[in-house]
Amino acid sequence: MPAVLDDYQSMSVEEAIGMCRDLVEDPDFPTVQRWRDAGGKVVGHFQVYFPEEIVHAAGMMPFKVRGAPVEARQGESHFGSYLCSILKTSLELALSGRVTLDMFVSHPICDSARNLAAVFGRNFEYPCEILYLPQNANSAHASTYLRGEYARLTREVEAVAGRSITPEQLRVSVGVFNENRRLLRELYEIKRETPWLLSVDRAYCLMAVGGMIPREEHNQLLAWAIPQIRKGSGTPQDRMRLVFAGGFCEQPPLDLLHTISQFSYVVDDDLLVGLRWILDDIPVGEDPLGDLAEAYLENSSYSPVQHDLRKPKEQMLLEQIKDASAGAAIITAAKMCEPGLDEVVAYTKALDDEGIPYFVSEFEERMTNFDSLQIQLETFIENLLFA
Amino acid sequence: MTYAAGVDVGSTQTKAVILDEDLQIVGRALVSTGSNVTVAAETAYEMALQQGNIHEEEEGVGFIVGTGYGRYKVTFGDAQTTEISCHGRGAVHMFPGTRTVVDMGGQDTKAIKVSSTGEILDFFMNDKCAAGTGRFLGAAAMALDIPLDQLGPTALLSSKPVKITTTCTVFADGEILSLIGKGKKVEDVLLGVHHSVVSRSIGLLSRVGIEREVTFTGGVACNVGMVSVLNQELGFEVNVSEDSHYMGAVGAALFAMDRIVAGRSPARRSEAMA
Amino acid sequence: MSSTTQLIPSAPADKKETSIVGRGNKEGNRLFREWYGELTSAPERKEHSAYVFVMGSLAEILRSFDIHTIFPEINGLQQAVRHVADDYIGQAEDYGFSADVCGYVKADVGLQLRGGDHPMGKIPPPSLAVYTNACNTYVKWAEIWERMYHVPTFTMDIPGSRAAGRLTWPGQVDFENDRKYVAGQINELIKLCEQVTGRSFDIDKLRETMAHTNTMSRKWKRLIELNKSTPAVYNAVTDGTVFLGMMNGYRGRPEGAKYFTDLVEEMEYKAANGIGTPFEEKYRLAFVGVPCYPIFRRFSEMFTEWGGSFVGSSYLWFASGGANLGYEYDLDHPLESLAEGLLVTVRDSMDSMFYSDKNLIDMIEPYGIDGIVYHPIKSCRTVSTGLADNRRAVMEATDVATLFVESDHMDKRVVSEAQLKNRVDAFFEGLATRRQRLTSTGPQNGRA
Repeated sequence: MPAVLDDYQSMSVEEAIGMCRDLVEDPDFPTVQRWRDAGGKVVGHFQVYFPEEIVHAAGMMPFKVRGAPVEARQGESHFGSYLCSILKTSLELALSGRVTLDMFVSHPICDSARNLAAVFGRNFEYPCEILYLPQNANSAHASTYLRGEYARLTREVEAVAGRSITPEQLRVSVGVFNENRRLLRELYEIKRETPWLLSVDRAYCLMAVGGMIPREEHNQLLAWAIPQIRKGSGTPQDRMRLVFAGGFCEQPPLDLLHTISQFSYVVDDDLLVGLRWILDDIPVGEDPLGDLAEAYLENSSYSPVQHDLRKPKEQMLLEQIKDASAGAAIITAAKMCEPGLDEVVAYTKALDDEGIPYFVSEFEERMTNFDSLQIQLETFIENLLFA
Repeated sequence: MTYAAGVDVGSTQTKAVILDEDLQIVGRALVSTGSNVTVAAETAYEMALQQGNIHEEEEGVGFIVGTGYGRYKVTFGDAQTTEISCHGRGAVHMFPGTRTVVDMGGQDTKAIKVSSTGEILDFFMNDKCAAGTGRFLGAAAMALDIPLDQLGPTALLSSKPVKITTTCTVFADGEILSLIGKGKKVEDVLLGVHHSVVSRSIGLLSRVGIEREVTFTGGVACNVGMVSVLNQELGFEVNVSEDSHYMGAVGAALFAMDRIVAGRSPARRSEAMA
Repeated sequence: MSSTTQLIPSAPADKKETSIVGRGNKEGNRLFREWYGELTSAPERKEHSAYVFVMGSLAEILRSFDIHTIFPEINGLQQAVRHVADDYIGQAEDYGFSADVCGYVKADVGLQLRGGDHPMGKIPPPSLAVYTNACNTYVKWAEIWERMYHVPTFTMDIPGSRAAGRLTWPGQVDFENDRKYVAGQINELIKLCEQVTGRSFDIDKLRETMAHTNTMSRKWKRLIELNKSTPAVYNAVTDGTVFLGMMNGYRGRPEGAKYFTDLVEEMEYKAANGIGTPFEEKYRLAFVGVPCYPIFRRFSEMFTEWGGSFVGSSYLWFASGGANLGYEYDLDHPLESLAEGLLVTVRDSMDSMFYSDKNLIDMIEPYGIDGIVYHPIKSCRTVSTGLADNRRAVMEATDVATLFVESDHMDKRVVSEAQLKNRVDAFFEGLATRRQRLTSTGPQNGRA
C-alpha cells in the first residue's frame, strides 16, 4: 500500500510536527481517505483501548474514533441533551461521510459510549458491534474469557477483511505495535526528562497521528523524528512540572494543550492513553491472541474506565506524579463525562491527603476560547512558584 | 356572521386574532404581556375586536381558544391548545405547502413537523438554553445598543460574518464587545450572531427532519437578517408571512372555528368579561 | 410454562372484587415497609448486608448465605418520591460530586455521609458490594464504597449482546465462552461470601432461593402479558414501580413468590372481569426509560388527565433484571443454570436499554399501543443516550405517535413541570387529531 503521509523526510522536524498537527485537527481525516483510495479497508474503534493488532493482521487500518472539533449537525439530532461531545462528533464523522468505515467496534467504557454501537448499528449497514473487554479484571477466569472474546473478534474481522488471519500474521502485527509502543514510550520519556525539548502539544501531534495512519508509517515517522528532537536546542526554563489527567477519551483541543505548555511543563498525562495502554513489549509465543489478552490484564496502564482492584486510580495517579517528578496536577474531565467527573472526587481527595497541589477544570473538544481557564491556571501556577 | 378568536399569551407579548367564517383575519392585536397575564389577554382580545369593528353583542364570537404559556390564564377562553399545535395549524393555513415549521419567539425555538392538514407529526423544542433563540439576538442588541428591528438590516450590510464561539447567551455580550474591541465591524459581528442562531435552529429542525416547504413563524421571523441567513443555510427559501408574529393566535382561532362548525357552544363567559 | 387466562370461578363478584382488587398494591406497600424494617434492624441481629443493584442482584447466592440485599437504587427512588432527595444530593455535591453525574449515586453518597439516615429507616453500611456491569456507573459507585468502607466489592461481569439481534445460545462457542467466565465468577463470589460470613456454602439453600426466583420470574412474565387486556389491568409506570420494588427486594424469598402468585391472580381476575385502573383509558401508551420521581404523582397525572394509560414500560424489562423473559433455573444443576440464567437475563436487561427499538415495534399490535413516550433522564446515560436514535428508528418503521420529553429521576433542578406539561399536552392533542382523522368524524373544515 502506498504511503498516506506526505514526504516529511524532506521537512524539518518542526514542519513535520506541523504536518501532524494539521492532520490531527483535520476533521476530514485525509490519510484515512488515501488508504481507502488505495483500496484499503478501515475498522473504526472507539476509545479507550482496542487490540488494534488483530485488525492490522487482517490487512485493514485500525482507525481510532475519538471525535473531532466539528459541528455535529447531523450527529446532534441522534442524541438528547446532557451528553459528552465526543459521542456526537464521532457519529457526525460517519454520518457526514468524512470517514467511511467497514466496521465499527466499541467497548462499554461508560454508560454513554456503550450506546454508541447500537446507534451506529441503526444508521449504517456495516457491522457495528461491541467488544466486551473484561470488567472483572480480578477474576482468575478473565484471561481465558478475553482470549475467547478476541477469538470471536478475530472471526468478525476476518469476515469483513474477506481473509483469515494466521497466528504468524498476528505475531508480525504484535511486533509492529510493540515497536510503536516502544517509540511512544521514548517520546514520553523525552517529554518527562527534557520537557524543554518537547512540549505536550507537539508530543501529542506526533502521537495522535498514529491513530489515523498505518502503524508502520507511524513507526518510521517517530524513528525519524525522535533523534532530531533529542538534538533540539531548547534550554530548561524555570517552569512547574505538571501531570495532566482527564484526557483518556474526549480530547482537549490542541490549542488548550498549547496554551498550558506556554507556562508549564506537562511531563506526563493520560492523553490518548489507549494508544499506550500496554506498558511493555508483548512477548509473542505460540498463542498471540492469548498473549494479547494477558497483556491487557497484566501489563497495562490505568484509567477511570477500567476497574481493577490492583490499580486504584488515585494510587496510580500519585505514582505517576512521583515517577514524573511533578509538583502539581491538572485534574480535568470532559464536560458531561461521568467516569471522569466521578474520578475527580477521588483524585482530589487523594491529592489533598498527600498535600499535592492541583487545579481542577472541565473542557470540551470543541471549545475555542480559553481566556478564562488560562488566567486561572496561570494564577494557580504563579502561586505555587512564588509561595 | 360568527367569528372565532385565538389569544396567544407569550412570555413577553400577547397576541389576539379574530377570524371570520371564511377564515380571513378581520382583527388582530399585540400587547406586552407584563405581569398580569389575564389582563393582557383581555386587552389584546378587546383591541382585536375593535380593530375588526366587531361588536360582540350583535355578532358573535362563537368560540375563543387560548394558547401560549399563559393559556390557562385566559379565563374568558373556552378551551386551551398548546402553541405547538397552534403554530403548526396556523402555518399550514397560511402556506398550505408547509411540512416543517420553525417558530422562534422571545424565549424558545420550536421545530414542528406537520401534515398537509396541519396535524402535528413530531416536534422538538430548544428550551434548555437560549442559545438558538430570539434571546441570543436580544442579548446582541443590548450589547451593541441597536434596536431589535434594526438587527436584521444591519447584519445584512455585511458579507463576512465573524464566527461567534460562545454558546451561552449570558456570555454572548462579553464576546461581542471583545470582538468589537478587536476592531471587528458591527455588521460582521451581527451577521455572525445571526449565523449562530440559525445554526442551532437547523440542528433542532434536523431532529424532526427538514421537509419542504419550511415556514418560519414567531416574532423573530420579522428579522430580515434571520430570514436571509436561514434561506442561505437551508439552500432554499422559507415561507414568511407578514403575520408570522400572530401565527400561534391564528392557529388557535382556527381550532376555535373547528369547534364552532362542529356545533359546540362555548362555556358562559360573559361574567368573566363583565 | 405459560398459564392461560381462566375465568375466576365461584365467589360472588362483589366480595371477590373488594378483597382482590387493589390487593397487590396494598400488600406490596406493606411488605416494602417490612423489608426496610428488616434492613434497619439487621445490625442488631449481627446480620450481614450487601449493596446490590436491580440489574443482576445475585440475590439467590446472597440469600443462600442469609445476606440481606440492600438496593441503593431503591433507596434513591424513595428519597425522590418523598421529596428529600435534594438535601442528600446537595451534600454529595458539597463533598465534590459534579452536578452532571447520576443523581442516584449522589443521593446515596449523601445517605452514607449521614450514617444511613433515610426516610424508610436506617440503612446499614455494607459488608460487601456485588454488582454486574449492566450499568458502568455501578462500578464507579462501588469504588466509592470501597474507599469509604474498605469492604470487598465484587464485579460480576456479564458479557452482553455484541450487536442488535445477535443473541448467542447454549452450545454456541461464544455463548459457552461467556458462560464459563460467569460460572467461574460465581464460584469466586461464593468464596467471597464464605469469607465474609464465615459460613459454608449451602447448595440446597441456593436451590431454595432459585426456586422462589423461578416462581417470581414466571409470574413476572405473565404479569407483563396481562396488560394486553383492554382496559389495561395496571399502570406500568406507577403500579409498575411497586411491583419492581417487590421483584427486587424480595427476589429469591418465599414472600416474593407468594406476592407475585397473588398478584397474577388479582390481575387475571381483573382481566377476566374487564376491571382496569382507576382512570379512564382513552389512549394506550408505552413508556421508555425511568420515571420522573421528583414529581411522580404529578407526572403520572399529566398523562391520566388525558386518558393516557401506560400499558407497558421498558422499565419493567431492564429494572427487573430481565425477569420479563420468564427464565427459570434448572434446580438439578443450580450453579451451571445460574451462570446460564444470569447471562441470559442480565444480557436481556442491557438489550432492553440499548436495543429496545425492535421490542417496542413488536409490542405495538399485541398491546394496542397508540403512542410511545420516551423519557430520557439527565442522570442515566445508560438508558437515555440511545433513546433519540431509537425513536427515529421506531418512527421510520411504524407510524405510531411518539413523545420525547427529558427530565430527571432524582434531580428536581432538571425537572420543569411546565415544560413537561406543555409537551405532554401537545402530544395528546396530536393523538386526538390523529384519532379523529382515522375515524373520520369530527370537524372537517378549518383547513385550508
